[in-house]
Amino acid sequence: MTHLSRYTCEEAFRRLDDYLDRELSEEETSLVREHLEICAGCAREFTFEESLLRGVKDKLRQIDLPPSLQARILGVLGKER
Amino acid sequence: MHDPSDTSDASDSLMDENLASAATAQAAEPLGADEFQALLVGVLPTAYGYALRLTRNRSDAEDLVQDAALRAFKARESFQVGTNFKAWIFRILTRCFWANHRRRQRRPNTVDFDDTPDLYLYARSAEHGLQWQGEDPAHALIERLGTERVAEAIGQLPEEYGVVCTLYFMEDFAYHEIAEVLEVPVGTVRSRLHRGRKMLQKALWCLAEEMGIVTELSQREVTA
Repeated sequence: MTHLSRYTCEEAFRRLDDYLDRELSEEETSLVREHLEICAGCAREFTFEESLLRGVKDKLRQIDLPPSLQARILGVLGKER
Repeated sequence: MHDPSDTSDASDSLMDENLASAATAQAAEPLGADEFQALLVGVLPTAYGYALRLTRNRSDAEDLVQDAALRAFKARESFQVGTNFKAWIFRILTRCFWANHRRRQRRPNTVDFDDTPDLYLYARSAEHGLQWQGEDPAHALIERLGTERVAEAIGQLPEEYGVVCTLYFMEDFAYHEIAEVLEVPVGTVRSRLHRGRKMLQKALWCLAEEMGIVTELSQREVTA
């Protein structure tokens, strides 16, 4: 990879969401990663965003299925069979 | 996505028609009742979680999941074995929500989301000196807010953004899978998600201020 192919801060930032969501191509992912290795400011921003996304996901996924719901639904489906 | 502004009851026949046309297009191996049940049980916990975030009410969420499960069961032959069952069930659940379970009165939104800048939380937390060494400020804020407040923040988003964000944060769906669930182009998912994340950051910050979390963390910074 040549120096000319490196992303600027703006180019890396434009790809922040897609990078964190693994929606970039391998080449783009490498270019963003390379930028983050040499730019402490962008690395801090990306780390913050990543931590925030992970935190929100962790919180929202703390839900248990009510014990009776599965049985209730399977009972309804049983009557349809 | 079904138009969220359409508050008229979507007819059951329209939904069944859509599912039937899908069946015609995809007629391959039909899904048997036992296979359907086995697949359904595997996705019920996440389907309930999604339903709970949509309805914000446990009883309504249970009814929504049951309604979606029954509709899916009746239309199971339209599911092509080997394709994404979870996305298919979530699509039916989302349709059921728009059609029959969406609340007429939304919670009033008190946050102005217009022109929310990128990196809103990062910038605000820096302004308030929350980026101290040794503790991740994003983690600190989310931990103190807790599950219900985080869910409340998502609930404050305009509906078309809130649904996309709910699918994104609650599931490991890729953009194309969210597009499949909501029946919109991938580009629409990407743009709504980008904007929705910014809105969510503002909503989270406003809640953190209301709850005194920002003050608490700022003072902790000073006394640390």
